[in-house]
Amino acid sequence: MSSSTTSGSGQPELTSHDYDGIQEFDNPLPGWWKWMFVATIVFSVFYALYFHIGAPGRSIAEQYDAELAANTRLQFAVIGDLTADEATINKYIHEESWLKVGKVVFQANCISCHGRDGEGKVGPNLTDEAFKNIRNLEDIARVLNKGAGKGAMPAWESRLHPNEIVLVSAYVASLRGQNLPGKAAEGTAIDPWPEYVAPPKSDVEEQPTEG
Amino acid sequence: MSTATMDASGHATDTDSTMDSFSYDDKIVRMFVTATILWGFVATLVGLIVAVILVYPWMTAGAPWIAFGRLRPLHTNAAIFAFAGNAIFAAIYYSTQRLCKARMWSDFLSHVHFWGWQAIIVAAAITLPLGFTQSKEYAELEWPIDIAIAVVWLFVFGGNFLMTLINRRERHMYVALWFYIATIVTVALLHVFNNLVLPFGLLESYSVYAGVQDAFMQWWYGHNAVAFFLTTPFLGLMYYFLPKAADRPVFSYKLSIIHFWSLVFIYIWAGPHHLHYTSLPEWASTLGMLFSLMLWMPSWGGMINGLLTLRGAWHKVAADPILKFFVVGVTFYGMATFEGPLLSIKSVNALSHYTDWTIAHVHSGALGWNGFMTFGMIYWLLPRIFQTKMWSDRMVSLHFWTSTLGILLYIIPIYAAGLMQGLMWREIDPETGALANPDFIETIQSIVPLWQLRILGGLLYVGGVVMLAINAVMTWTTRPATYEVPVITARRLSKTYQDDTPATTTELADAPVLELGKKMDIFAKMNWHRKWERLPVKFTILTTAAVLVATLFELVPTFLIRSNVPTIATVEPYTPLELAGREIYISEGCYNCHSQQIRPMVAETKRYGEYSKPGEFIYDRPFQWGSRRIGLDLAREGGRQSSFWHWTHFEDPASVSEGSVMPEYSHLLEADLRFSGIPALVNTAHQLGAPYDEELTNAEEMAYKQAERVAAEIVSQGGPANVQEKKAIALIAYLQRLGTDYFRTEDDEAAADAGEEVDAETAEAAEEIAMSN
Repeated sequence: MSSSTTSGSGQPELTSHDYDGIQEFDNPLPGWWKWMFVATIVFSVFYALYFHIGAPGRSIAEQYDAELAANTRLQFAVIGDLTADEATINKYIHEESWLKVGKVVFQANCISCHGRDGEGKVGPNLTDEAFKNIRNLEDIARVLNKGAGKGAMPAWESRLHPNEIVLVSAYVASLRGQNLPGKAAEGTAIDPWPEYVAPPKSDVEEQPTEG
Repeated sequence: MSTATMDASGHATDTDSTMDSFSYDDKIVRMFVTATILWGFVATLVGLIVAVILVYPWMTAGAPWIAFGRLRPLHTNAAIFAFAGNAIFAAIYYSTQRLCKARMWSDFLSHVHFWGWQAIIVAAAITLPLGFTQSKEYAELEWPIDIAIAVVWLFVFGGNFLMTLINRRERHMYVALWFYIATIVTVALLHVFNNLVLPFGLLESYSVYAGVQDAFMQWWYGHNAVAFFLTTPFLGLMYYFLPKAADRPVFSYKLSIIHFWSLVFIYIWAGPHHLHYTSLPEWASTLGMLFSLMLWMPSWGGMINGLLTLRGAWHKVAADPILKFFVVGVTFYGMATFEGPLLSIKSVNALSHYTDWTIAHVHSGALGWNGFMTFGMIYWLLPRIFQTKMWSDRMVSLHFWTSTLGILLYIIPIYAAGLMQGLMWREIDPETGALANPDFIETIQSIVPLWQLRILGGLLYVGGVVMLAINAVMTWTTRPATYEVPVITARRLSKTYQDDTPATTTELADAPVLELGKKMDIFAKMNWHRKWERLPVKFTILTTAAVLVATLFELVPTFLIRSNVPTIATVEPYTPLELAGREIYISEGCYNCHSQQIRPMVAETKRYGEYSKPGEFIYDRPFQWGSRRIGLDLAREGGRQSSFWHWTHFEDPASVSEGSVMPEYSHLLEADLRFSGIPALVNTAHQLGAPYDEELTNAEEMAYKQAERVAAEIVSQGGPANVQEKKAIALIAYLQRLGTDYFRTEDDEAAADAGEEVDAETAEAAEEIAMSN
């Protein structure tokens, strides 16, 4: 604490004020208090200049764009831009680490209608063998993108990254056949998903490991 | 007691002044103290109830007037305006009279103030559960009540107070009075300008501000309601009652001056820190953050002056529960005013915003600072105003310890909950780059045990208030048959005042320094302020100016710079039915749990979609950005779920979202929408600038047609038939619209026009199906 004005007795000096018996000491501002106050003001000037002088990359929107680009690189740099065709979806049904990404997208967006495990709630059970709008793997991506049943199934095209559509399609396809107890089967039975032939072991670099 | 001799001492040539005899009005203090205890019990009890139904939503059995969304505003309003409000008035009426050596100017106005304020509280307690709300936090009350508040506050209370100041018999105004002045002026200003609305019914209205500007005004108000309703008057209270109870001089007069003016000037800028990373322009957000940082020391000036006043009196604190209340209260003030600047730092706020951290922060302020200062004051007042002994000193002690434990049991779990949920929301799996906790309800479920602990803390705090009530009633029973009314004599102030204080000198007078240096040294001794303390009207004007100038610096650019809100061509006004749905959304208090503002952060856009843009909210009156996500953000809810899903969800949220804490809204599925009320909504929105055309003449029919389309959708998705007249349909129409305009293209519009006929066919088909069933 800073030195306070003290009289001979070591007591701080009183002002002459007296309000309903309340008196006031004439102590100076505590030094640390004063200088902290000044420091916050000085800091503020520099902070405002730094972020608002117009230098590129410092606005919130620009920082977000950079962050998003970095995240997209981390997520999809290895696999590039996927097309939602049967072969691609089928491939990712069998890539467990990528299936996990599809599962996360499913959990964030789909479980309120299809249930936590795809057992169906308002939306159909995805774990049985009956399908309403799906005949093949490509149909899953199409329904995800465009929706179905006059909005019963919303369209996700503008909300999800095209790669996410492929991966969540793969995840949904992978749920088939578990026959979890949930919503009763709707629609008709369809052919099984096409056979999957694993390519030779050359594509290990496609594992989503490092960023 | 103050006497004439004391008054004549010092500097005066009061030859023409005469002695006055008068008495203080303590009856009004007794009334406000009683009201404080009563409303303190109600406010904390309602708080306890909302804490319980948050965890066990089924307990309300779907009754709309006790759902969380309607009761939470009742809790906050009761705590702020009923409990803290009456406490402020008790403090002001007791201390102002004594600090001015004058009775309140008008006993009549004092009583109008008391009964007017209680009537306002009762009106709030009736209208809020019924769903009449402006949906702006702590400014929920509708316009007729707002007018009553403005009149009672400014003219009745403010007028009576200012006239008492003018008729005072103490030459100088003590620091407590400065804080009271700032309170009265600023609260009036905030209240009036945030509540400007265009009514379309006795208890319904649209804010004159929209979207970004409405958000700015609301948090200019909201933050400064904390500043000038929960801080400055309580600092005034502290400056009077703490030195009284401790019987010690105040630590530093100079500190009082500097921290008062810096607090008043800086506080008013800080509002935008409630809107970091939202669609508010970034410069405003930066100002909010920086002024909050600069506010740290001015706030702590109050804490230092409080705590250091107790220097040399700590032995008294150990023995006196009243001083214990004050010490803990001031300490919580210090903690909260350190945490405030911390939370205003953008990167910290990125984590804390929308979480329970904010809830914990305000409760350490409200329960610790406001609550404990109030309890300390009441315990000090009770034996004095009832002119008897405290019924039970042990119970005062017990109240102190129970409530302290209660606060800790409340805030520690809620801090933990806020931190936990905030971290879960933002966590990205470092390997896959995907959300680590994609399921929102899991993040809620993981903090539910902490919410349960909070109930215990709340219970203890309410228990403390009950002890206060019992002790107060028992003390009251031992009051004398008639209260003694001491007659005070004091010298009337002379018209002229001759300042005998010697001119301020500086030790630098003979030193070889610049004249400017000497002047600054004299200025720093702050004797110039003494003159202001003799001039209440000038002081009031200066305070108003400080607040106004700071406000205008922020407010004018927010309203005038067009680039703050870039236009989005595809954003159109709500349809008549959507407007009606929006009113239901507001009335049910959905904003208490659901935000409508996605921040530009990857973890957030991954969960909710593209971040919100300022231009998306130009027809939002009032804005619905919210401040806490107990449920998901709804800014891009449109098209995310099927309409039938919404229907099912309102009927029983847990059936589709297992573990959801949302109460059921089956009453919306049963009650009919009043379509005849819709034209008023459209016309009012139009008057405020929404470009409507056919809607102006045909709103009701248009709304009905859209309702039929939504109802048909629900049928085709497997839902019940003939529901087009239900309230839920309007609400679903509104929800399905949210955030969709931003993605609309010209093609969509053409398709939508063509689609209407198809939809009509669907509706007919659906009706046929319904009839054939």
